[in-house]
Amino acid sequence: MFNIKEDRSKFPTMKDDGTLDFDLDSQKYVKIWQGPNHPGVTGNMALELTVSGDEVIKSKTHVGYLYRAFEKLMERRKFIQCFPICIRMCVPEPDINEYLLAASVEELGGIEVPEMAEWLRTLVLEMARVTILLRGVPGQGGTMSLGMGVQWGVYIRDLMLDRFEELTGGRVYHMYIAPGGVRGLLPSGFKERMEEVLKKIDEFVVDIDNLMFSNAVFKKRTKGVGVIEKDWIDKYSVVGPNARAAGIMRDVRKDYPYLKYDKLDFEPHTEKDSDIYARSRVRWHDLQASVDLIRQIMAKMPEKGEIRAKTPNVLHWKIPKGETYKRIESSRGEYGFYMVTDGTEYPRRINLRGPSYNSAMVLLEKILVNANISDVSSLMVSLATCPPEIER
Amino acid sequence: MNEILEKIKSKYEITDVLQKRDDLLFFSIGKKLLVDILNYLKELEGFTHLIMLSSVDWLEENKFQLTYILNHPVNKYDIAIRVDIDRDNPVMDSIHHLWIHAQTDQREIKELFGIDFPGSPGVNDDFVLEDWDDIPPMRRDFDTLKYATDNFFPREGRKSYDTKEYMKSKLYPDQG
Amino acid sequence: MSIKDVLSPFLAWKKVFKDPVTVKDPFNDRPGAPRYRGFHKNELDKCIGCGACEEICQNAAIDMVPVEGIETKDGDSGLRPMVDYGRCCWCALCVDVCSTNSLTLSNEYTWIDSDPDVFRFIPGYDKKEWDNNELGWTKPKNYDLNNYDRVDMAELHPEERDKSFIEFVKGYSKEQAEAEADRCIDCGLCTATCPAHMAIPEYIKAIRNDDMEEGLRIMYETNPLPEICGRICTHRCETVCAIGHKGEPLSIRWLKRYIADQVPESKYKEVLERGLEITPKSKKVAIIGSGPSGLSAAYYLSRMGYAIKIFEALPAAGGMMRYGIPEYRLPYDQIDKDINYILSCGVEIEYNVRIGKDITIEQLEQDYDAVFSGTGLHLGRSTRIPGSEHENVYFATDLLREISLGNEIRVDKKVVVIGGGNVAMDITRSLARLQNKKYGKVDVTATSLETEDIMPADREEVVEAREEKCIIDPGWGPKEIVIENGKVTGLNVVKCLSVFDEEGRFSPKFDEAQKKFFPADMVVESIGQGMDLSYLESIKDKLEFSDRGRIVVNEKYQSSLPWLFVGGDIIKGPDVINGIANGHTAAKGIDEYLSSK
Repeated sequence: MFNIKEDRSKFPTMKDDGTLDFDLDSQKYVKIWQGPNHPGVTGNMALELTVSGDEVIKSKTHVGYLYRAFEKLMERRKFIQCFPICIRMCVPEPDINEYLLAASVEELGGIEVPEMAEWLRTLVLEMARVTILLRGVPGQGGTMSLGMGVQWGVYIRDLMLDRFEELTGGRVYHMYIAPGGVRGLLPSGFKERMEEVLKKIDEFVVDIDNLMFSNAVFKKRTKGVGVIEKDWIDKYSVVGPNARAAGIMRDVRKDYPYLKYDKLDFEPHTEKDSDIYARSRVRWHDLQASVDLIRQIMAKMPEKGEIRAKTPNVLHWKIPKGETYKRIESSRGEYGFYMVTDGTEYPRRINLRGPSYNSAMVLLEKILVNANISDVSSLMVSLATCPPEIER
Repeated sequence: MNEILEKIKSKYEITDVLQKRDDLLFFSIGKKLLVDILNYLKELEGFTHLIMLSSVDWLEENKFQLTYILNHPVNKYDIAIRVDIDRDNPVMDSIHHLWIHAQTDQREIKELFGIDFPGSPGVNDDFVLEDWDDIPPMRRDFDTLKYATDNFFPREGRKSYDTKEYMKSKLYPDQG
Repeated sequence: MSIKDVLSPFLAWKKVFKDPVTVKDPFNDRPGAPRYRGFHKNELDKCIGCGACEEICQNAAIDMVPVEGIETKDGDSGLRPMVDYGRCCWCALCVDVCSTNSLTLSNEYTWIDSDPDVFRFIPGYDKKEWDNNELGWTKPKNYDLNNYDRVDMAELHPEERDKSFIEFVKGYSKEQAEAEADRCIDCGLCTATCPAHMAIPEYIKAIRNDDMEEGLRIMYETNPLPEICGRICTHRCETVCAIGHKGEPLSIRWLKRYIADQVPESKYKEVLERGLEITPKSKKVAIIGSGPSGLSAAYYLSRMGYAIKIFEALPAAGGMMRYGIPEYRLPYDQIDKDINYILSCGVEIEYNVRIGKDITIEQLEQDYDAVFSGTGLHLGRSTRIPGSEHENVYFATDLLREISLGNEIRVDKKVVVIGGGNVAMDITRSLARLQNKKYGKVDVTATSLETEDIMPADREEVVEAREEKCIIDPGWGPKEIVIENGKVTGLNVVKCLSVFDEEGRFSPKFDEAQKKFFPADMVVESIGQGMDLSYLESIKDKLEFSDRGRIVVNEKYQSSLPWLFVGGDIIKGPDVINGIANGHTAAKGIDEYLSSK
């Protein structure tokens, strides 16, 4: 842990309007950009840092490096055509978008999804959570050059992608949870092969505990760093694992059970310290919880069943005028779709709200103040920022 | 949760009430009362979490709809408040003093819809666009296809035939 | 911080002795999973070029293009999908929406080439090494984006309907029609097959938009008799419906009826003539016969501004539609609805006038600038078997006409109908109703040369006739009508083995050993109809006839006498929609002829 010197004279003072009073030409301050190249596992985003010595005194987040206007494009596409597009709004965890699009369309269009499809959706969503956490948990170490864990994680993630491939036909963009149902039952022998992967993850979890969480350097670099105060949770609308690290239970799966989560037994983990270590630890527990959930789902789900509800013809599916907000627990917290329809074949507006929207913008700017420059990427990764969901 | 609706109704004039789900309530309110009701819901009723601030363009009715979705983390209840603003004079009061992060939403809406929120920090900064010289792109009258054809070039040699036209040209060019 | 925190990271060293997980293997491919969404495959002969794949592709990666060796024909547009891999995102929605299951994806996913243009190709036509891969994405079991189940049409119960001539098909309700219209995938294969080339997908779309007035306008562009066609059209469109490949085709006919039923007669003028301007022309056209072709020609010619006069031999308009089709299938008020509108467009009509008897054809030539003749097939054809000249042996067409005219016809307790076409079914079911009225019991047997699978009658006609307790016993060749003491007692038949020879010509073969006797007091022959062209006798020498006795016409239905156009059943058919189509085409031909004169 670095120490903030008692003497603050060389740092700028705060003006009445809350901005800092400093003169870049005084040669006391340096402006450096972090990004917009991939600064870790998070996507393209730039931080404009004003640094004094090795301490960040001001940070400004710049986005727009991968703006593809998906929300706009979807307004010009039929509901079924939104399905291959919406997934691209979050690359490492595309399934949450599939589900939210399907759930919103189904709610507004009055479609009841068959039981079997709901189980398969739950399964795929938990598999997606495992997939992103296999990279995300060791990724925290990666920001401190502890790359070994990331490599282990990426290997097992690949095995998980194999399971995705045989279930959904795709490795990265699964395109499985289509409006009305899902696109296929489990292939034969899937459960056994999945169990093999899950066993590997069990080992991985222990390895990571030894490598990262019981690592003196890691502890030194993460404990007490980047603390999110409890009262910021509401102020900044912090959600999911970041809130749970502060001891505040926020989990959509528990708070607003969707799909089959009310039939499953799990308890989201909470921590108290709310620093990088706590947030990373929460994700590590989430990974184990998800592995357990996959086992539960595979044990509880029926063997056969209908996978698609009868929908109107997708080529000219008109959804009555209406609006709704649907949410899901992504690996980063509450993730929602606000969908407005106007009675035509096209959505009037689909607005996505991911947790990074707040955490990478105002919250990151806040916690970077007074941080050591070497901790910037750790702090960023600890908030699990994902730029594609800021600029859709 | 009908109590909260009754409470709001006794204090504010709201219209178009829609109980979308047991835990999701929609209603519309006048532009002037918006900040007041948000303040009330946040400070006195426990709706401490602002999920999002979104905008919808109703071009045909010449209005923008702003939707503020609030969440009560304890009671697990959502309220979505709609505000209609004039499309010809798209200005709305800022709420960044209630939730700091609302400034990001407002900055985005300013850029993509052209709705101004005077006083919101950094509201005029570029968000995702750079040197944009067209109308705000999320407005309904912005034609994405035209923009793409004007600014990019299509792949050469592509041609598709309409089934009906093609069959007519082949089977009954002189009839029908 | 403890000593454990310093030591435990070193546990990672245990992995030093593990095998590497990434192995370089340049010789063996790693195949994609059995469901992998790889490169496209297409079974060209199964594909019908409906274009649903192009329609659903959100990236506009698919073009429909003509392919060498694939011909445009009924039910096949001759186009095939061409995929642009610069745009494809391998979502496989094109596979899920494919109406014939011809389009699939293989599990192959590596393809390297230095020429970017090769990545635009026609699956199935441009041969690729993965064309024979069995694995890859196909439509998942129990998963399909199309809806293959037809919305059932409500009908009167057989018990109720065989007692009267009330229309027994009830018509779709709004919900039913919209659900049925929703199944359409807008391919337009039906338009090409429909003899009138009606804009079927467009009026089905009008149903989805609940815009009946638009639907009616679209229908009148190509068909001025939608109420009639919506009930009795032979719906050849439905035989090529893309949805019909894997399920039940759309009920295009009932949807047409639905639109016409929704617009009341009083609103027709307003709906169809909004913004319409007709410049009257000085020329006059005479039309012989008010059947579908005559009415169709009259309607379109009147829209072009010509003065039209129809000459009808019978006391009411409609031709075979009124005098050949029983009321339970096509009620008279619905015929009147369509015809009244045409007559309201300034078309004159004179009833009970027979050309050749009351007026000569020369007179028409003199008084009018052009003549259209659509006199139809009103003469019955005889089997000419022994006994067929008996007075109690009738032609179906004569009986049907008499029923429509409201005249009493002879109905005996036991009747045999010879014939397996729609007219045979019409007379069978009409007689059943009359028997029911008179005797309270049905005893009609219909027998045809053709076996059940090749009977020319519509399938539902046969099923419905049986539901009404008629006996349909196909596959027998009539031998002799047995007459004892001057009275008909029945019909002797022998087994018919085949109807057509190898070249498809009519040449029935019988097994004389297998015999059957149908007892009957009355026999009705319904083995086809003939035309009565006696009114053309005086100009016969100037007309050209084909070997089979039909008048030769050009593609605009103009005969070798330039002022005489001929259409309807005597040229093509027999059915209503062909008549409408050639009436429409003839109208255009007459317009061309008169404009150039």
